[in-house]
Amino acid sequence: MRTNSGAIWAAIIALFLGVAVVTQFRSQDVYSRSLNLETPSSLTTLIANLSETNNELRNEISDLRRDVANAQDSVSSGRGSLTEGERQIAQLRVFSAQSAVGGPGVAIKIDGAFDERALSDLVNELRNAGAEAIAVNEVRVGPHSYFTGAADRAIAVDGHQLRGPWTVRAVGAPDVVYVAMTRIGGIIGQFELIYRNTRFAVSKETALDLPALVAASR
Amino acid sequence: MIAPAAARQPRLHHSLVLLVPAVLFGLLVTLQWRTQTERSELTVRYNTPLIDAANALQNEQNDLKSQLAVLRARLDEIQRNASTQSGAAKELQTRLDELKASAGLTPLSGDGVMVQLDDARNVSVTSRDVDKSICHATDLTDIINTAWKGGATAMAVNDERVVSSSSVYCVGSTIMVNGTLMSPPFNIAAIGSQNALLGAFDDPQQLQDIKQRRDVQGLGFHVTRAGAIHVPAYSGSLNVRYAVPR
Repeated sequence: MRTNSGAIWAAIIALFLGVAVVTQFRSQDVYSRSLNLETPSSLTTLIANLSETNNELRNEISDLRRDVANAQDSVSSGRGSLTEGERQIAQLRVFSAQSAVGGPGVAIKIDGAFDERALSDLVNELRNAGAEAIAVNEVRVGPHSYFTGAADRAIAVDGHQLRGPWTVRAVGAPDVVYVAMTRIGGIIGQFELIYRNTRFAVSKETALDLPALVAASR
Repeated sequence: MIAPAAARQPRLHHSLVLLVPAVLFGLLVTLQWRTQTERSELTVRYNTPLIDAANALQNEQNDLKSQLAVLRARLDEIQRNASTQSGAAKELQTRLDELKASAGLTPLSGDGVMVQLDDARNVSVTSRDVDKSICHATDLTDIINTAWKGGATAMAVNDERVVSSSSVYCVGSTIMVNGTLMSPPFNIAAIGSQNALLGAFDDPQQLQDIKQRRDVQGLGFHVTRAGAIHVPAYSGSLNVRYAVPR
């Protein structure tokens, strides 16, 4: 009789144990990746980012609606759709870095030790802040650009060696890009902690001129 | 009355058998409870509406992207029909097609490599190691950089085409590519010469940190040859508001 009740208790505990182990495992697994576990402040940042992306999509949709209507009119009146085509070409040449561009933005001067991974992270952060065109010294960053280390602490962009001090220029909304770079806990603040003897100077610029992309040197 | 020694023995044995699972059970309950209490009052109060808002925005984004795709296809169709009318229009169309391809606005298929990056799964990790056992935005940017270095001609991360404006963004432990919410595993499709791409990924100088975490913390990282990879067209906006061609 006693042996039986012992076995029943052991079974009950084993069952609970099993459930607990599984729950613990599952919560470990999801721990890293679930919106449920983000803090309200992270969620607010995510929402701001999603809203921004959606606004840009809406702008582009309204531009394209106009282009489609204009193209239809032009075609039906026998003029062809050259104007819309030219506008698209100009936009795509800027987007794919094939044309030199001008415009307002920010310049980041880096004087001291720095490396290719940090430069790649900086470019990623600039794109994230909405930069439309980026150049490192006189080399334009393109859609397939890559960053590598080079001899004598130089950094190569698409195989083109660049020596410090480096100036990273980005065309885009100057205030937005500036704040994204310099905010507390932002990338420049992090760099300043990691590269303690390097000087980082971020400035808003009213007129930048960036060259067009040149072919990678392999 | 004194119980015979033979009867006491199994009783003691039973208690010992129960002791071990009981202690373990208590430990797990505590662990579970502590994980839950780490979430603040604020988290509990505001998270549900915020998560709902984030999900609603992501759904809206998917809708907007399909609308954009329909409009792009419509404009393309009008221009293609018009391009049969004159030599100038035909020339314009050829330039447009080339530019769209180089900007990533047309889908592409070809041989290349698939790279998979994933959080370490089912590995009990101490809290100090959690950071090293999950994938970060910088891991993705390092992988993308390595693939371009290896001569990739087109790339996508979980079906988001990597274009000149693409960024990998990380908030908390959530990752966004092209402004789209993503979660692991990340599948990076890179079209290009397989030998050159594998050479770049196998280079011991490249991705040292990821390779070390794969070996020590069990981070998921695999590069494999793949044939007929499909890389979709970029479906986001071509944000050109400030840059003026010179």
